[in-house]
Order: sequence, then C-alpha cells, then structure tokens
Amino acid sequence: MTRSQVVTLLEDSVHSQSELAVPILEMKGMTKRFPGTLALDNVDMTVRRGEIHALVGQNGAGKSTLMKILAGDYTATAGSILIDGRPVAIQNTRDAHRLGIGIVYQELSLLPNLTVADNISLGRETVRGVVLDQRALRNRARDALARMGIAHIDVATRVGALALPERQLVEIAKVLSLQPRILILDEPTAPLTQADAERLFAILLNLKQHDIGIIYITHRFKEVLSLCDRGTVLRGGRVVSVFGAGEMTLDRLVEATLGQKSELFFRRNVQHDATRQEIAFAVRNLSVGDRVRDVSFSVHRGEIVGICGLLGAGQNELGRSLFGDRDDVSGAIDLGGRPVVLNSPRRARRHGIGFLSDSRREEGLFPDMRVDENVSIASLGRFLLARGLPFIRRRALRQRTRAMAQRTNIASPALVRPIRLLSGGNQQKALLARWLMLDANVLVFLEPTRGVDVGAKNEVYRQLEALAQEGKAIIVVSTDIPEILGISDRIFVMYEGTITAVMNRDEASEETIALAMQGAHVDESA
Amino acid sequence: MRVPSRLRASLPMEAERDAVAPRTANRIGSGLQRLGILLLAGLLFAIFSATSSDFSSQANIDNILIQISVLAVVSIGETVVMLLRGIDLSVGSVVLLSSVVMSALSVNHHVPLVLAIGAALILSLLIGCINGVLTAFIGIEPIIVTLATLMVVQGLDEVILSQNGSWIQVLDPFFTSLYVNQVLFLPVMAVITFVLYAVAAILMQNTPFGRNVYAVGGNARAARLAGINVMTVKMAAYAIAGLCAGIAGLLETAQVGTISQNIASGLEFSAVTAVLVGGLSLTGGAGSVLNTLIGATIFGMINNYLTLKDFSIYYKQAVSGFLILIAVILINVGRFGHMREER
Repeated sequence: MTRSQVVTLLEDSVHSQSELAVPILEMKGMTKRFPGTLALDNVDMTVRRGEIHALVGQNGAGKSTLMKILAGDYTATAGSILIDGRPVAIQNTRDAHRLGIGIVYQELSLLPNLTVADNISLGRETVRGVVLDQRALRNRARDALARMGIAHIDVATRVGALALPERQLVEIAKVLSLQPRILILDEPTAPLTQADAERLFAILLNLKQHDIGIIYITHRFKEVLSLCDRGTVLRGGRVVSVFGAGEMTLDRLVEATLGQKSELFFRRNVQHDATRQEIAFAVRNLSVGDRVRDVSFSVHRGEIVGICGLLGAGQNELGRSLFGDRDDVSGAIDLGGRPVVLNSPRRARRHGIGFLSDSRREEGLFPDMRVDENVSIASLGRFLLARGLPFIRRRALRQRTRAMAQRTNIASPALVRPIRLLSGGNQQKALLARWLMLDANVLVFLEPTRGVDVGAKNEVYRQLEALAQEGKAIIVVSTDIPEILGISDRIFVMYEGTITAVMNRDEASEETIALAMQGAHVDESA
Repeated sequence: MRVPSRLRASLPMEAERDAVAPRTANRIGSGLQRLGILLLAGLLFAIFSATSSDFSSQANIDNILIQISVLAVVSIGETVVMLLRGIDLSVGSVVLLSSVVMSALSVNHHVPLVLAIGAALILSLLIGCINGVLTAFIGIEPIIVTLATLMVVQGLDEVILSQNGSWIQVLDPFFTSLYVNQVLFLPVMAVITFVLYAVAAILMQNTPFGRNVYAVGGNARAARLAGINVMTVKMAAYAIAGLCAGIAGLLETAQVGTISQNIASGLEFSAVTAVLVGGLSLTGGAGSVLNTLIGATIFGMINNYLTLKDFSIYYKQAVSGFLILIAVILINVGRFGHMREER
C-alpha cells in the first residue's frame, strides 16, 4: 500500500491531524446592516469538524440573520466566510446548497399538498424517462426516515395531514438526506416530543462521527448542556461569549444571554386563594373526539391552571374545545354558573373567552396587517359609532390599542409596522394584547411562550400574573414543565386523554409532573 | 431585525405621519405602492399627451372618465372579492343582466323607471348572494362557482334579449342625462364612480367589515380564531361584487343607449386586470380599492390612446395586453425584490 493510498483511506474515515485543525466553517467580521439597525456587528464564529456548536441568544440577537447569511438568504454587508479554510462566496441558496450547507428552519418549509416522499426529494426527483420514478422517491424517503429511526410515518401521506411534530421530523429527514457537511438546526426540538427529541440527539451525535459541523440554535439550555461541545452567545448583534468544551453551565449561559444574572424560572409572587374565589367555569364529562375522554374540572376566578402532558395527550384538544374550535365535543360547560354552548370561536369570544394558539403564524397572525390592526381585530365591535351604525370610532380604537400595547410593552413605533417584521416575542405580545383589549374573562393559552426569547417570556408570565390578579380565569397548556411549575396555582397533568393528576403548586415538583406525564401514578411516586 | 427593502425608507415617515396626522394613517407599504402606481399613471399620461395632441384635451379626458366608469365600478366588487383570495368571473354577465332587465322592464313593459332600476339591482345582488353561498357556505372554489354563474346568467341575458327583440333602445332622459350632463366640471358618470369609490374606501377602512376582509384574506384560520365570521365576510363580499356589477350595468346602459348581447363581454377579465394593475396581492390581504381605481384609469388611458392612434381593433387588444403586462411587471418589481430578502 502506497502512502497516498493510506492517506486517502484515512481521509475517508478520520481526517489527519493537520486537517482537523482547519475548522470546517469560519465566519470573520460578519456584519449585516439594515437601515436604522445593525443586525450583526463584526461577528466571529468558528465551527470545528465533528462538533455540535450551540448558537445562543435572545430573539433579535442576530442568530437568525447570521444563519440566513450562511444559507444564502441574506448577503452580508461585510465579513468573510471560510469553509475548510478556503474563502467562499454565498450569494444565494444554491451556493449554500453546493457548499454542503443544510438548514432546518424553525418555520417549516414543506409543501402541505405534496406527500412526504415528494417533499423529501423536492428539487432532485428521480425520473424514469419523463415520469417521476415514484418507487425510487418513496424508497429514498423511507430510507431517510429509517436512518432517523422513524417508522410510524407513511411516506405516501400528504404532509398537510401530518401533525406538527411529525412534520418537523420530515423536515429534518429532508435536510439530512441532502447529506450536508455543515448542518444548521434552528430550534429543532420546539415541536417535538421528548422521545423524538432524544432520537434527534442520537442522530446528531452520530453525525458528529462523520466530521460534520453542526450549528444548534435553541432556547433550551438543558439541550445545550447535554448535547453541545462548544457555544457562541450573541447579544444585540455581537458575540458576547464563546464557550469552550466543558466551560458551559446553566448560570453562565443565562448570564451571557441576558447580560445580567437572573432567576432562571419565573415564580409568581402572589398566590391565589381558591377558597375565597367563585368558580369562573366548570367542565363536566367533556370528551373531544377520541383525544379527550370524559374530563371534569372547574377553574376559579383569579386562578391560573396549568395543563401539561406529553404531546398528543389531549391537552391541546381540551384547550381548543374550550374556545369552540372543535366540532367533536360532548359534555357540558358552565360559564359563570350558566350552561353555554361553545360551538364556534365567535361564540366563545362573545362569551368573553380569549385564546392564544400554539401555532402563531398559522392561527394567530395577519402577517401583512399592521401590529395595531392585529391587536384590535377582535374588538372592533366595541368601537362603533352607535348600534347598527358600523363605523369604527378610530380615535377611541387607537387610544385603546395603544394602551394595550403599552401594557404589554410593545414599542409604539412598532405599532404601524406589518406584524410579520416583528420578532416572535413581540408578535406573541401583540396577540396577548388582542385578548387583553377584548377584556376576556376566561383565557386559554396554548404554549404561550413557544419560540419566544427569555425576555419576552418573562413579559408573558408577568401579564398572566396580572390578569389573574384582576380575577380572570386562566388556563395555560404547555409542555414546558418549569413554566407550568412557575406560573400555575393548580396543575393538571393529562395522560392519554384523561386528567391523571391534579396538584397544588406547593406539592408539585418537576419530578412529580414528569412522572405523571409518563402515566405513572402520583401517589406511588410521592 | 428583518426589514424588507421596500419598507425601509418608509418606516420613519410612516411613524411620523401616524403621530402628526393620525386620521390619515395609511396601510403601511400600500402608501409606497400607491405612489408607484400613481407615478406609472402619470408617466403614461405624459407620454400619451406628448405623442397625441388630442389625448389631454378636456373633451378626451371627460371621455376617458366616462369610458372607465363601468369598469371602475365593477372593479370595486372585484377588489373586495380578490382581497379574500377569491375571484368573481360572473360580473360581466351580471352587468349585462342588470341593463337588460332594467331596459326590458322600463322600455318594453312600461314599468316605472325606479322600480325597473330597483329590480335590476336586487337581481344583481341576488346573483352575488348565490355566488357567496356556494363559495362561502358550501365551499366550492370561487373560480368554478363564478364560471358556472357566468354561463347561467349569460344564457339568461340571451333569453331575455331574444324575447325583447334582441336589442333594446333606452331613450329615457334620465340615462341620457347621466351620459351628457356635468357636475362641477366632471361628467355625471365620473362623479357617480368617485362617490362609489369614496363609499367603498370608507367601507374598507372604517368599518369592521372592511378590516375583517383584510384579516380573512390575510389568514382565514387566524380570522376564525379571532372570532370573525369568515363565511359571512365572504358571503358579503360576493354580494357586494354582484351589486357593483348591477350598478355598473345601469352606467353601461347610459353609455351605450342600445342594449345588445355583447356590450359587456370580457368585462370580468378587464376588472381582474384593473385590480392587478392596482397592485393587489394574489396571496390575499394586501391591496386597496383606491389602487384599483388607479389601475382602472391606467387601463382606460391605454385603450383610449390606442383608439386615438387608430390602431385596428385586432392590434388594439394585443397592444393593450402588452402594455398592461409591462405595467404589472413594473409595479411588481419592487415587491419581488423584497420577497427575496424575506425568504
């Protein structure tokens, strides 16, 4: 065997020492200027072969901008990108593709009307003569999913018919099937169940062995700690810390992202006293299709009830049924002591119920409308000149909208911008303001802080607390256990469509909740 | 922070305007877009005036205003429907229906004019409601529904016309006066058009219905979850489209005087074109009736110019289509630029 053959062999498996030293990706002095804002200010970032590199920072810190430059969506104002030590120009998404950069976006890019197989092979379809080779497409898709250890998704299903976590898995499979050398994942676990997330982690750890450079963006620091080798923290478009292997701790990450030391989890100061409060609404024998089975409970005025469960345990459907968004509901709902029929969101709104969906973009936002219009849209009926005279009192409407924006800390110049231009956190605050404006008595929030940065998260928690103090009845459905623990007066845990545990906040802990979510009996664990 | 290029320059300006004169606060972006369309209209006017001595004469401008009035009024309803990501292809046949019914009743059956007009308008509204029910409540694709009603109503037009001697001449002084008279130096028909646009603009900006149209067009699912009655909004939009077509039919009657089978043929496509030249986004939720008025004006100026220049009818259609294509491209250049940045 000649020396060159050995080297070739070595290159195939493990890179030689000198090559290892050359990072797979280097970004130097990356700057992106938008008029009025400096989104990125001289950012350096290095990703080594075979590492999972965490990119951490609040929304608006510049993470997405930086990644969009890598993906060819934006072009940098200044700065250089080196791959394998060689400078490259990324002008468009095709360049990025050619250079082996694969990106899993936070917002899914799948086409809902195509099948899983079609989506995975989109843009590189196999043809037999002039027709698509359907079998080859399906096999490729099946392989891609099998490599991720996923067997339960049928590749012939329309993507639109899949649930959100499954779509996310397909998206990841799609990007992985392109065999990228540099893989970027933007909040990949947000919609995933714990089991799926762990499967993803195993895949990522496996990819490391193949000398791929992985950039992992997340708000979940626990994932950073357990998964990532090194990390870069951005704040206000600048790099504030670069953590080496073994240097990361929860405190340090929090400190670096926030810029100050703070409590990691929100804790309510004011406690609710259920004995003195009247019942705001009661649910008896509620069933929703086969997802929620015979559930009964009541919520008091001024109380925050947190409902958690593994994805698919029925908490989502329960929340939606309370806002009239399900048509397969049976059972009785009493509102303020009177039975009500909630068969449409409009009816629910009229009964003073507000609702925040867990998919903000699909079910909450009017992307091209201004922020103030997004806030006021549900309350227009209250600002008419007179009964039967459907003209909006614009001045009054504007004043009230501004007051709501102020209450939720939305900057007033932002009010006249299309809402799609705002960060996830600010969008969520605007949607919260929508229901504050309506002065709803019962509020149902699904995953109110999903995809929202730490600062905006605390904002949302403070709002919930204030609303409870005003006497509103609040239901928060969340898969985030610390969140549930921090804000709830009472905690309902759902498992396979029923409420299996009801805990007061003093008797609940992360462990008891997690166990109940897995279907374990609480009294056994206690 | 992501800021599309098209909007960057406008941000401080918009904010300022909002602070200084809250009442004139405009939909962001559409302000700039409207400026672009206005500039295009101005540019065309300048070019046409320079190359044709007759074009900018008072008489010809009046002529253009009268010529576009039918199209402009039909396009109001089309705008509302298209803001909801729908389309109404039946408007041309409804225009004809309205004028046929009105003239058949008043001329051949001696029904008092007011009643004849009322019947025509109610019938047009009814056709709109049928479109609305089929699309909104039954959920059939609007293009299919309105194509079907187009054929049905067209057939109805022909039946009524054939029973009334295949053409009807309307000599009522009321209609002649609409065509001949002026109010404040403007042809009556132009005044009617402008008034209807003012009403439509108020409807779209100052009533919950208008806001809801934008919301449903922008994101129907989110609209439902904000407690908006999506079906009613859609239903009302098609009803408005029918009513507008009905009113346009009366204007058409005044304009042509003699009602025959082909007076409004192809009008649905002209209306869709006017809306698109006005820069309405086909993905819904963005656009405005005033932009459509400018779009209709551009359309009307091009046609008028080609007539003045003695283009044969055969060339005219092709050239007018070509010019409109250019206009749409120019208007959309900016939008494509910002879409790229956003992806």
